[in-house]
Amino acid sequence: MHRWRWLIHIVLKSLAYRQGRSLLLLGVLAMAASLVTSLGIVSSAMGLRVAEEVRKYGANLVVLPAAARIEVGSGGLDFGTIAEPAYLSQDALLQVVGNEGVTDCSLHLRGHLKAGALEMPAEGVDFAVIRRLYPWWQLQGGWPIADEAVIGIDLAARLKLKAGELIRAAGTAGAGDFRVAGVVSTGGEEDKLLFIPLARMQEALGVGSSVSQARLLAQTGGVTLEQRAARLQSLLPGSVVREVRQVARTSEGLLKKVQLLMALVTAVVLIAAASSVASTMSMTVLERGKEIGLLKAMGATRLGVLLLFCGEAVVLGLIGGCAGYLLGSGIARFVMKTVFMVSAGIDLRFAGLSCAVSLCLALLGSAGPMMSVFRLDPVRSLRGE
Amino acid sequence: MVTDIIETRGLTRSYGEICALKPLDLLVPEGEWLSVMGHSGSGKSTLLNLLGGLDRPSGGSLQLGGEDLMTLSEDGLARFRREFVGIIFQQHHLVPYLTALENVMMAQYFHSVPDEAEACSVLERVGLGQRLKNRPGELSGGEQQRVCIARAIINSPKLLLGDEPTGNLDHQNTGMVMELLKELRSEQRFTIILVTHNREVAAWGDRIISLDDGVLVREERTCR
Amino acid sequence: MSALKLIPLLLAWCGIVAALARYCPARRTLLMISCASSFAGGAAGGNLLLTIFNGEIAYSVVKALAGACFLCLWVVALAAFYRVTGSGGQGTPVEHEKAYVFTATALALPAGLLAGAICVCRLAPQGVAPLFVLGVAGILLTAVAIGIERFVPADITMTGEALLVLIVSLLLFASSFTLQLDLFSPLSMKVMKFIHDFVHQFFESMLVPDHLFFRRDVWEYIGYLFGSGVGFWGGLLIWFAPVILIGAAIRLERLPSVSHIRQGAQRRKLLAAFIGERRCRLIAPCMAVLILGAAVYNSLFPRVEYWDPKPVAVVVNASGAILIPKKGEINLEDGKLHKYLLKQGGREARFMILSTPDGRLMVTLDACAICKPEGYGQAEGAVICYYCKTLIPLETVGKPGGCNPVPVPLKVGADGVTLDAMTILNRWSETVTGSSRIKGGGK
Repeated sequence: MHRWRWLIHIVLKSLAYRQGRSLLLLGVLAMAASLVTSLGIVSSAMGLRVAEEVRKYGANLVVLPAAARIEVGSGGLDFGTIAEPAYLSQDALLQVVGNEGVTDCSLHLRGHLKAGALEMPAEGVDFAVIRRLYPWWQLQGGWPIADEAVIGIDLAARLKLKAGELIRAAGTAGAGDFRVAGVVSTGGEEDKLLFIPLARMQEALGVGSSVSQARLLAQTGGVTLEQRAARLQSLLPGSVVREVRQVARTSEGLLKKVQLLMALVTAVVLIAAASSVASTMSMTVLERGKEIGLLKAMGATRLGVLLLFCGEAVVLGLIGGCAGYLLGSGIARFVMKTVFMVSAGIDLRFAGLSCAVSLCLALLGSAGPMMSVFRLDPVRSLRGE
Repeated sequence: MVTDIIETRGLTRSYGEICALKPLDLLVPEGEWLSVMGHSGSGKSTLLNLLGGLDRPSGGSLQLGGEDLMTLSEDGLARFRREFVGIIFQQHHLVPYLTALENVMMAQYFHSVPDEAEACSVLERVGLGQRLKNRPGELSGGEQQRVCIARAIINSPKLLLGDEPTGNLDHQNTGMVMELLKELRSEQRFTIILVTHNREVAAWGDRIISLDDGVLVREERTCR
Repeated sequence: MSALKLIPLLLAWCGIVAALARYCPARRTLLMISCASSFAGGAAGGNLLLTIFNGEIAYSVVKALAGACFLCLWVVALAAFYRVTGSGGQGTPVEHEKAYVFTATALALPAGLLAGAICVCRLAPQGVAPLFVLGVAGILLTAVAIGIERFVPADITMTGEALLVLIVSLLLFASSFTLQLDLFSPLSMKVMKFIHDFVHQFFESMLVPDHLFFRRDVWEYIGYLFGSGVGFWGGLLIWFAPVILIGAAIRLERLPSVSHIRQGAQRRKLLAAFIGERRCRLIAPCMAVLILGAAVYNSLFPRVEYWDPKPVAVVVNASGAILIPKKGEINLEDGKLHKYLLKQGGREARFMILSTPDGRLMVTLDACAICKPEGYGQAEGAVICYYCKTLIPLETVGKPGGCNPVPVPLKVGADGVTLDAMTILNRWSETVTGSSRIKGGGK
C-alpha cells in the first residue's frame, strides 16, 4: 500500500504547488455543488410544504347534488345553467366524510330570503368551519357568535346596513332576526350574499336537514385527488364530487413547474461549471507538458500518469463536494427560514449527491485534457515544443 | 565473452520528408562508454531517443539487451525504459514541487515501490546527503544534475543515456559530474552512451563516434 | 413465476462453482462431476425432507446445516488470523496440487448439497413440481460456470480460507431469500437476548442500588444495552467478523524476506510483485463482504409474497347453479382464499371463496366497485387489492363498500356451497363497467 500513500502525497503536493489554480477550481466545484445541494433540499422540502400551504387556500373538493342541469346558451354565448333546487342529505355527508381522509367539511345551504320587500340571496353556513376553510374572508366588524349573521359588502350597500345593526330575514317557512356581526368583502360572489347560521337557514327554508353543497378539504397523501373524488362519489349516491379546480390543479401544477425551473437552472449552472473546469484543466496540460514528458521518460505508463491527474481531479472533487454541501445546506436553511418560515434539519443524503456531482464535474472537465496527456509524445514535449 | 548490449541494423528515423537518421549499423558491447559527437541537427539526439525507447524507428532493427524494441507496445516500451534505461538530460527536468529525495523516489514509484532508505543512500553516494529536502529551485546546476544522475541509476539500469548532460554546467561542475559517472560505472558496470558536442567531454569515453547529417562519419577509440 | 424466484439462488450457485474452479483449475471434470452430483443430491434430499416431514422440520434442518457452515467459517477464520499474527507469523503455507484438489472436492460436496436443498426450500410453498427442471438447471449451470471461469482475469486468485468464506457467504445469501431459512434475524435476536440477560444478571448479582454508585448519564449508556439496536449491531459484528478476520489475515501477511538480494531494484520489484498479488487475493473476501451485506439487506427487508392461486374453472349445472364442495381437492375452510373462474355464454367472471376468522364462508367477486379489476392477494390476516394496495382485514370481507370485494349471496349446505351463476355474471359486468366509468378506474 505504499504506492497509494505515495500517490496521494504527490497529488497533494502538486495541488499545493499551484495554489491559485487549485483554489479557483475548488471555488467553481464548490459553487456548483452548493447550488445542487441547496436547490435539491429546497425542492424536496417544498413538496411537503406546498401541501401544507395549499391547505391555507381552502377546500379542494366540492360535493353537489346530481340533479338535472340544463346548460343555456349556444355557440359562444353561455347564459349559465338552470337547475332545479336539489339537496344533499346532511347526515349522509357527515357520516361518509369521517372515514375518507377528509379533514374538514363545510356545509352550505343556498336560498332566497326576504328582508321587508327586498329579495336577496342567502346562504346558511357554519361560521367556525368557514373561518378555517376560507382564510381569504376579510371581515369588517367581527366574526359572528350564536345567532349572528355576516353580510356581503355589496348587499350591505344595497340594504344600507352596517355592522352591529339588525336585519329581519324571512324565508318560505320561517323568519328570524339577526344582528349583523360583520361585513365581508372577498371580491367574489360572497359580496352579494347574506350569511346566517345553517340551522336557522334550514328552518327558514323548511328543508329539514339538507344542504345544497358541501366543500371538503381532503388529504392527498398516497391517493390522488381524482381517486378520492371517485371514492366519495361512489359512497354518496345522488351526488357529484368535483375538484375545486383553481386550487388543486394549480397547486400541483405550480409545484411541478417550479421544480422544473429549478432543475433547468441547475443544469445550466452545471454546464457552465463543467466548461470552466475543462478550460482550466486544459491550460494545465499545456503548462505541465514538460513534466508529463519527463514522467514518461522515467518509465511511467500512460495509465500511471493518468492516475496522477485523476487523483488531482478526485481530490479536488471531494473537497469541493464537501465544501459545496456545507455551503448549500446553509443557503437552503436561509431560504427555508425566510420563504417558508420553517427551520430545516440536516439532510445527509445530499452530502453524497453533492460529492457525486462535484466528482463528476471534476472528472468530466479533465477528461479532455487527460486524453491529450495520453497521446503526448515525450520527445517533443521534453524538447519544449 | 562480452556480449553486445546494443545491436542496430539499418536503424533509421524520418520525420515526413526529412530523414534525421540515415540507416545506421551499430554494435555496442556491454560495459562500454560510448560518446556520440556531432553538430546540432546531426541526428545524435535522435539516435539517443531511439536507443532510450523514447521514439520509434521508422525502419531497421533495434535490439537492446536481447529485446527487440520494434515489437514492444507503448506500455512495453515504458516497462523497458524504467527497468533497463536511465536518462539524463541537458535541461535538468526535475519535478519542481518535489524535493530532491522525492524526485528520486518518483522513479522508484513508477518502477515498483518507493523506498526512502535506498533513495537516501544513493543521494549520499552522489554527494548530496545534506541537500535531500531541498527543492530543485534551491539547488545549483551541478547539484541538480547530480540529482538527475541519482534518479537515473536508482533502478539499477543496464544502460545510462546522457543527452549533453554537462551542457549547462561550468568547467568545475563538468569535471565533478564526469568523475562521478566514471566511479559509478566502475561500481555498477552499466553501459554509458553520452551525446555531446564537446571534445573534452567526449574524450572521457572508450569510443567516440561522430555523426553528420544523420550519417556515421567517423569512429575512433580513445586511449582510456 | 417460480423461475424468477430461483434466479438469484442459481446465480449464487454459479458463483460457488466458479470460485471452486478458480481455486483448483487442474481437475475441472472431477470438479464438475462432484458439483453437479452434489447439487442434484441436495435438491433430491431437500425434496425428500419436505415430503416426509412437514415444512417446519425440513426448514430447521437446512437452517441448522447452514448455521453449522457459518460456525465452521468462524473457526477457520480464527485459525487463519492466529496463524498470521500469532507467535509464528509465517506466510501462506505452500500447498501441493493434490491438497488443492482435495480441498476443492471436500468443499464442493457439502456446498452443492446445501445449495440444492436451499433452492428446493425456496420453491417449497408452491409445490415441488419443477424439481426435475431445477436439477437439470443446476447441472447445466455448473458447466456454464466452469466455462465462464476462464474469462475471469487470471490475476484474481484466492487462498483456501478466502474460498471458504466466499462459498459460505454465497450460501447464506441464497438462504436469505426464504424467510424460514434466514439466519441473520435469529442471530440478532439471540445476541439481544444474551446481552439483556447478561446485563440483567450482572446488575442483579452486584445488587447495585439505583442511584448510589452511577451518575445519571452512565445509566443512559447502560440503557443502550437494553435497546433493540444492540441485537442488530451485535449480530452485524458477529456476521461480518469472519470475513474481516480472513481479510486481515491476507492483508497482514509478512512481505517475503528480500535481504538476500543485493540489488535494490530487484528487491523492490519482488516486493511490488508480492503486494500486487496480495491485492488480488483480497478481491475474494471483499466480494464476500458485499454478498453478506446483501444477505443482511434481504433479512431486514423480506419480500412478502401474496397467496394468489390460479382461478379454477367451475361448471354450471342445468339449473344455473354452481356447486362447490367444501372439502376435496380444495379445502374451503382452510383460511386461505380460493379463486374460481366462471365462463358462460361468452361472458366470464372471477370470484373467490374465503373462510373468515369467525368461521363463516364468504363468497365475493375478485374485483371491487371502485378499482380496476386486477384482483386480490392474501397476506397475513388481510386481503390486498392489487390495484390500490389497500389492505382489507379478513373480518370485513363480505361486507360491501369502499375497496372491499363485491359480495355475492351464497347458500351454505352441509357438503358445499351453492351459488347462482347469473347473479355472479351480472354483478361482475356491473362492477367492471361501473369502475371503468369512474376517472382513474378504467385505464
